[in-house]
Amino acid sequence: MSKRLETELYKAATLTFEEMGFLLPTSEIDEQQLNAQVEAMVSVEFKGPFSGTLLVRVCGGLLPILAANMLGEEDAPPKSLQYDALGEIANVICGNMLPSIAGSKDFFHVGAPKMTESIDLLPIAEVQVGLGLGRADLLLFISSGPVLTE
Amino acid sequence: MPWNILVVDDSSVMRAIIIKTLRLSRLPLGEVHEATNGQEALKVLDGNWIDLALVDINMPVMDGEEMINRLRQNPATVDLPVIIVSTEGNETRKEALMQKRAGFVHKPFTPETLRFAILRTLGESDEQKAGD
Repeated sequence: MSKRLETELYKAATLTFEEMGFLLPTSEIDEQQLNAQVEAMVSVEFKGPFSGTLLVRVCGGLLPILAANMLGEEDAPPKSLQYDALGEIANVICGNMLPSIAGSKDFFHVGAPKMTESIDLLPIAEVQVGLGLGRADLLLFISSGPVLTE
Repeated sequence: MPWNILVVDDSSVMRAIIIKTLRLSRLPLGEVHEATNGQEALKVLDGNWIDLALVDINMPVMDGEEMINRLRQNPATVDLPVIIVSTEGNETRKEALMQKRAGFVHKPFTPETLRFAILRTLGESDEQKAGD
């Protein structure tokens, strides 16, 4: 795992959850957050000087809260909109993380978010963000390109 | 006078977020129109008075860059104020868009960020527009 990649991934994720989802990250992840069940997973593929996938999964009842916050609604929106909202979160995190890793001169194409079951690769970076009573996991997979070191 | 704004993004969630943020920005909003791509946006512009377009870059059918090119070629829309709302991090691409006289708001954004970008693009000062 690369510490630098994890730092950039965490920064992009917390900024996005705060500004788009109005969810502040908790300073630590407690046992309840750690044991929270996975609700949904989305992935976003990117292509550029290095290519890969960012996977975002939310756990512990976060999905309807996140979607309602993003849409400015009091009640949870329909399930399909909740997944779309998570997809937008993944897209924005990916779009912010890539230039912070690669620099602003490289061009990346970021694909549309899609619902995902699993990815058959080992992540190069993995972070957890405590949010309310749940958590979000972010896993970065690199499939081609130069080795991203510390 | 309130501003009519066109929000162009292929994601219905992102359009809803932008519209919610617009309403939180304390700007004088009139009609808010929506389009899912550049082509649809050009049709909306054909039949409605729009003061400002907030445009995503990556969209199917017609992307934001092509849409701005078409706007700048049409005498009726050549001066339409446009702000790109995107996660684009590539400086060269951002500068190319700004040369087409488009402002830029980076996602994610706060109501204050959006307010500032709109006021700057429309050439208004913050004191003049306390909102309604």
